[in-house]
Amino acid sequence: MSAAEPLHYRFPPASAYRLNRCLFALKSDDDFRARFLQDARAAMRELGLGDDDAAAVLRGDRDTLLARGAHPYLVFMADLRLRMAREPVTFEYF
Amino acid sequence: MLVGAFACAHTPQLLARPGTEDRDLVLRVHAAFARVKRRLEALRADAIAIVAGDHVEAFFLDSVPALAVYVGAECAGTFGHYRYRFPIHEPLARAIVEQGVERGFDLCYTQSAPLDYAFYVPLHFTMPEPALPIVPLHVNVYLPPQPTPRRCFEWGAALGAIVRARSERVVLMCSGGMSHFPGTDRYASPEFEYDRRLLDTLREGRGRELAAVTGEELDKMGNIELRTWAVVLGAVGDAKADVYCYEPSWHHGNAVVEWAL
Repeated sequence: MSAAEPLHYRFPPASAYRLNRCLFALKSDDDFRARFLQDARAAMRELGLGDDDAAAVLRGDRDTLLARGAHPYLVFMADLRLRMAREPVTFEYF
Repeated sequence: MLVGAFACAHTPQLLARPGTEDRDLVLRVHAAFARVKRRLEALRADAIAIVAGDHVEAFFLDSVPALAVYVGAECAGTFGHYRYRFPIHEPLARAIVEQGVERGFDLCYTQSAPLDYAFYVPLHFTMPEPALPIVPLHVNVYLPPQPTPRRCFEWGAALGAIVRARSERVVLMCSGGMSHFPGTDRYASPEFEYDRRLLDTLREGRGRELAAVTGEELDKMGNIELRTWAVVLGAVGDAKADVYCYEPSWHHGNAVVEWAL
């Protein structure tokens, strides 16, 4: 049994808790996402995000977010939900 | 009684298809889901115990259970404009959590966690008519450290024994996989050959080999969600898989499987 660090989905460091909390809210909390789209900085202040984390979320750059300890799936889904809200994608619903 | 065992893909693009997804491929997966639905009707199942990996929806970093059982009256989840509500087979859910703990598995249980799409995408397409109550069974797949494939397999063996001793006709379904890498630079290049080799071993009834795979390997192959398959494999032992479909999209290996019990 190997205890090597996984390549893709790594342990989310405690230092990134607030950052991941913000991405989780963007993914799963419709009200938070709406507030973020209205005033992103105010929404991030609600969650106590530090300046560097807030700047990384605003830039939306995946590599920077991952380097700060963000979980890849949360980055992926938060980004997708924000893009869907900003420019509604056409879906075929089954 | 354990009357059926299935594995289903759950990628949300099967439910709401954006223009990036091949429509014919999506419809072929739907056709495989329709076969599962007809089988569930033919099996006259009383309940579906569905094993899925939470996408950081029910459980955030405030509390990360390795293995959990939903033991509420009903469960609910939303995705875009989809709103789902499923009744829980409460006696079965209670038996699973109580006897699971008796058998040495320190299970978490919840009576209110939101339902993740990993549960309701397959149920959207496979729920028989009339609808059956479910028992959602969580496996932590996305937040390391996850339970080892071996532990998942052992939990599945216990789950199988618990279900076989029940009077209800129960179907086990695992939701997840196959290879995909959401949120990483591997998103557009899954490990389809790994999937195909694994499906071959399952066709031959060698599913217990998945128990020996390391978590590191699953991560490397984009198959962290196969922990849910390991649970069902623990329950079905050496049963042979009938692969209804394997449809690799540009980012995801979509499989639908039934094990011949």
